[in-house]
Amino acid sequence: MAARYDRAITVFSPDGHLFQVEYAQEAVKKGSTAVGIRGKDIVVLGVEKKSVAKLQEERTVRKICALDEHVCMAFAGLTADARIVINRARVECQSHRLTVEDPVTVEYITRYIATLKQRYTQSNGRRPFGISALIVGFDYDGTPRLYQTDPSGTYHAWKANAIGRSAKTVREFLEKNYTEEAIAGDNEAIKLAIKALLEVVQSGGKNIELAVIRRNQPLKILESKEIETLVTEIEKEKEEEAEKKKQKKST
Amino acid sequence: MAEKRWKVMPPQALSFPQGLCGVMVLHFSVCMHSMFEPLNLSTTIMATFFGEVLSVYSRAVEEDDDELDENEEDEQIRRELEEKREVHLHWSPEVSESLKSGNKLQCSNFVLAVGQNASSFLSVHILSTANWDTIGRASAWNERSRAVTGQSCEESACVFYRHKDNPTVLICQVSCYVAEDQLFQWTEKVFDCLQHRELNVTVLSDTSVADYKTADYLGGSSAPFLRSLHTSAFGDQPVCQSLEQPNIVTGLPAAVLNHCQVHRIAAVVYQCYSDVIGPDSVTMETYKPVLTKLGRSIQLDLSPSTDALRKFVRTTDLQSNLYI
Repeated sequence: MAARYDRAITVFSPDGHLFQVEYAQEAVKKGSTAVGIRGKDIVVLGVEKKSVAKLQEERTVRKICALDEHVCMAFAGLTADARIVINRARVECQSHRLTVEDPVTVEYITRYIATLKQRYTQSNGRRPFGISALIVGFDYDGTPRLYQTDPSGTYHAWKANAIGRSAKTVREFLEKNYTEEAIAGDNEAIKLAIKALLEVVQSGGKNIELAVIRRNQPLKILESKEIETLVTEIEKEKEEEAEKKKQKKST
Repeated sequence: MAEKRWKVMPPQALSFPQGLCGVMVLHFSVCMHSMFEPLNLSTTIMATFFGEVLSVYSRAVEEDDDELDENEEDEQIRRELEEKREVHLHWSPEVSESLKSGNKLQCSNFVLAVGQNASSFLSVHILSTANWDTIGRASAWNERSRAVTGQSCEESACVFYRHKDNPTVLICQVSCYVAEDQLFQWTEKVFDCLQHRELNVTVLSDTSVADYKTADYLGGSSAPFLRSLHTSAFGDQPVCQSLEQPNIVTGLPAAVLNHCQVHRIAAVVYQCYSDVIGPDSVTMETYKPVLTKLGRSIQLDLSPSTDALRKFVRTTDLQSNLYI
């Protein structure tokens, strides 16, 4: 039974499970939802804002962080683990710039983070990192990229993905609604991210935080006013859709 | 009669290795000065970690009772502690009157909720309809009770409610911890006040999914879920599957189930395995099928107001910065 094979990270169970890694994936599910969307000229990261305590400074509770000017990431899971991973990634980005005189590609930095995470699944006495990350950015040739890493150290490229609590629901929504026309323009991609989050975020627009990177532009975190405007637009579109459907039915 | 004189030989010097774990058993022999009885006794000493020594007495031996005699002060302290840990039942005046005159409480349905989620579930879905009278309270002090001074705080006590229109339906919420030595007392005292004929007992209990032992890997999506365990007198069909081996029910639900099995009362325990510590609306919803089954006797508020829910569901996320 699981109880005997989950004590030490380096022990496989008889049926091939690494229970600590699987439990770390459970820890990720305890973090709030984050969604990433790769558009044509834009990449979008949306997160469900964690409700802060009354006396806590909201600014210090961030799920989206820039790793370099052209790369940023959102994570879900243990806050402290995320801080360590982000610090190492940031140092690596600058080290790469100085050594190779080129900014990192998104794939490179994702691979670096994933290797770091994998190392912690294979040494004794250390537990895996309890975070999953969505890394977005543009390579120097202008291609938009979205990668996802998880506590086991695997990483994959995605067109759109979600991590954290209710990630499954958001992913299903994205599978249905990620179409070429849905990401045709920048605004549409942003709206798709908001719509995906609204599926699972309880209190609407004020609990959503959004960050975008456009080609050759630095990371931009949208203000809450902009998000509210977009949310109202989305709701209007939904109503119009509902009206059209009603009219169709009656004719 | 030959006087027996006992001489204890010191244990052989053994070196304790660093990082000793597990049990070490030392034998030392007790010599007898009498010539007529053979040397046949030994006492073993057990050490479970470096420095700890527990005496383990063999049953075949008549022990020297001198060391076991406590002095008066120790006895008094022990007695006071026992009194403090006694389970007290405080009934409302009319109930205590009827109990004193020898009539037990008429009861056809007794619903017991053990744990925060179970108690909150009852509060939100049943007690909110305000058709319930508080008829009594049980208090059990132990190391985990928060109230230190004489007056026990209301929230930690176990409260009994009775339906106004149907006085044979009783509900009890237990959100405090009842220690192992108090479980039997609690059960005996409570069930002594209830009449046993045609009594149906339902127990709702919370526990952590980490305690659920299974050979298959449990993905997070399966929790929370219900498992049931019932007495042989329980004729009905439980609303969920039975608790599989080697899982067990412990604590107050186990004590109640045990009591009901012995006294042939129909009883069922619904154990809810949840991955959330503390009251949580999803966990509370898991109990709904149980009460739909209890039917007309208890009115169920199937869609509680968000205010009522909010009062009972503590958002642990707010205070904890562990996950983001």
